Amino acid sequence: MRILERPNTLPASLADDLDLIAEMTADFARSLDIEETLRIGIAHISTRMEAEAASIFLMEPETGDLVCRACWGPTDVSGLRLPKGQGIVWRAVNRNATELVKDTSDDPDFSHKVDANTGFITRSILCAPMSVRDERLGAIELFNKKGGGSFDGDDRRVLQALAASAALALINARQATAMAEQQALKRELALAADIQRAMLPPARPPEFPIHGINLAARGVSGDFFDVVELKDGKLAFAIADVSGKGMNAALLMAKTASLFRCLAKRLDGPGAVLAAIDAELAETSSAGMFVTMIAGVLDPATGTVTLANAGHEPPLLCCGAKMDRIDDGMPPLGIVPELFAQGCPETTLQLNGGALYLFTDGLTEAGGTDSMLGADGVAARLTPHRMRPAPDRLRALVGGIVEDGMALKDDLTMVVVEDCRTAPVMNRQYQARPASLAAIRRALTPALERLGCPSQMVPDVVLAVDEACQNIIRHAYGGGEGELIIQVRGDSEMLDIRLIDFAPPINPAMVCPRDLDDIRPGGLGTHFIRSVMDEVEFLAPPPGAGNLLRLAKRMGMGGP
Amino acid sequence: MKIESREIDGAVVVALSGEVDLQHSPSVRKHLMDLMFERRPVVVDMASVDYIDSSGIASLVEAYQMARKNGTRFILAAISAPAMRVLQLARLDKVFALADTVEAGLQA
Repeated sequence: MRILERPNTLPASLADDLDLIAEMTADFARSLDIEETLRIGIAHISTRMEAEAASIFLMEPETGDLVCRACWGPTDVSGLRLPKGQGIVWRAVNRNATELVKDTSDDPDFSHKVDANTGFITRSILCAPMSVRDERLGAIELFNKKGGGSFDGDDRRVLQALAASAALALINARQATAMAEQQALKRELALAADIQRAMLPPARPPEFPIHGINLAARGVSGDFFDVVELKDGKLAFAIADVSGKGMNAALLMAKTASLFRCLAKRLDGPGAVLAAIDAELAETSSAGMFVTMIAGVLDPATGTVTLANAGHEPPLLCCGAKMDRIDDGMPPLGIVPELFAQGCPETTLQLNGGALYLFTDGLTEAGGTDSMLGADGVAARLTPHRMRPAPDRLRALVGGIVEDGMALKDDLTMVVVEDCRTAPVMNRQYQARPASLAAIRRALTPALERLGCPSQMVPDVVLAVDEACQNIIRHAYGGGEGELIIQVRGDSEMLDIRLIDFAPPINPAMVCPRDLDDIRPGGLGTHFIRSVMDEVEFLAPPPGAGNLLRLAKRMGMGGP
Repeated sequence: MKIESREIDGAVVVALSGEVDLQHSPSVRKHLMDLMFERRPVVVDMASVDYIDSSGIASLVEAYQMARKNGTRFILAAISAPAMRVLQLARLDKVFALADTVEAGLQA
């Protein structure tokens, strides 16, 4: 008598059942490989519930069949497949209720097929479905109570409880696996995006004639731009947009980018490069995908640009207040190879001190069909930022679009090609804060040296510009956030430095040097500026800016 | 920029090095003014000042004025060429008490 062996307040059998449920539930909960746990668990359950044999069936998602994933007993039926509708197991699953068959010979649903195959004689069955909410996962089935009796209502309740916790464990394990897979996919996408970003050209100093910006609507991008230095001092550049978005576009982009990088150095002119890329893409690219692309070459010495356009948005040439669309071009690449068999026509244009803007339709179509930006919109958005150094100008333009809530539906890429013959030797934008001053001085010194500024003059001019920047930080912005731009130009006669800020316009009359006999601190900076520089004047600021201060000094005059 | 203080013969030698600009002059000002409030004699070692702007000069001027009021010693010593150039531009080279070396400043 067990009751004598284990005196307990609970009836002995119930205490055993609770032990079993607690034990198995704990096993299920901490299991990493739930099916392995089920295999071990089934032996345990069978022994404790005094069954002669047991099986666990799981629903196979692809086929909807119930498949035996674990079994215990004299015959091995693992792998046994039960198509929809057969036998007691399916009845339990379909009704989502525990089935107790005390005598199989009385039950018309009992299938004798398995017994016939295995030689096992099934007398009674207890089968509990495993389901969570509406999802059917499978069932646990016990055969023949040992000692010839039948399973009873208590057994039914115990198995029901075990099946419920097994089902929860199964769902948890599946969700964990799905989550891990999703995480792995995310990591791979992030990795792909990293590799793609690495394919874009490195950031160059703001005074470099060609700059670009690329914003991916998702992690990976179907856009690209590139700048390649050619042997003769010329610069080859390209912008392209692959049809479609996501991974397939990104892969075709990677291919197009590699082709450009390789061909730009070998072939003569952008037309030949586009024709060669077209031939390659048409031969190998997948159906329905194409690439719109502009390739070009800038001769920095003359400000001449040669362009070839394959189905891409017409670029904008901005010269002073004038904006021209450069509309010549061919259809996109990768559609019909014969189109480019005769090569791709080229357009030659002069920058004339201006800048050429190339962009993908992610820019012109920002904001959707109602408020599409269009080429005119791009031109209008460009105007308030034209005084900014190229990289900051691109960031400001793109940033403005994103800030205005125009959702990035597409990847957005923009390239600017400038005439560096007329460009300042230094053209940089800084945050107007004391921490920027050291960087400003460090950029200024080599720029002044490049212009041929006499060496004794350099530290004085650096001091004057530093002081003028301090005035912007302390007085124009009054300690608030803002930006300042420093442009340095010059020739053998005259050094010309311009400081542009975006603060409210200040009254120049209020800026006066202090009386030097009065040694109070303050006002000294303006005195430094006026003693070092020959000309100090506020000019009308460009559109979008707050103040423009011009500092000029005759070269070769030495210090005061 | 670095500020290092050491005591020699009852005076405090404050060695400034690096770039004394708007970013760093507030800490120079505080350091010197604390010494002024304690009425300590101070020699500022300016041998390693690579750069100084109007805000750095202003910190020195403020300490100098306080020292004069208190009748304590405040000497700029071993002034580097870039710092001297800025003092000259401000025409303060004739106002401050200067010494060629820290030792000379301590004996002044």
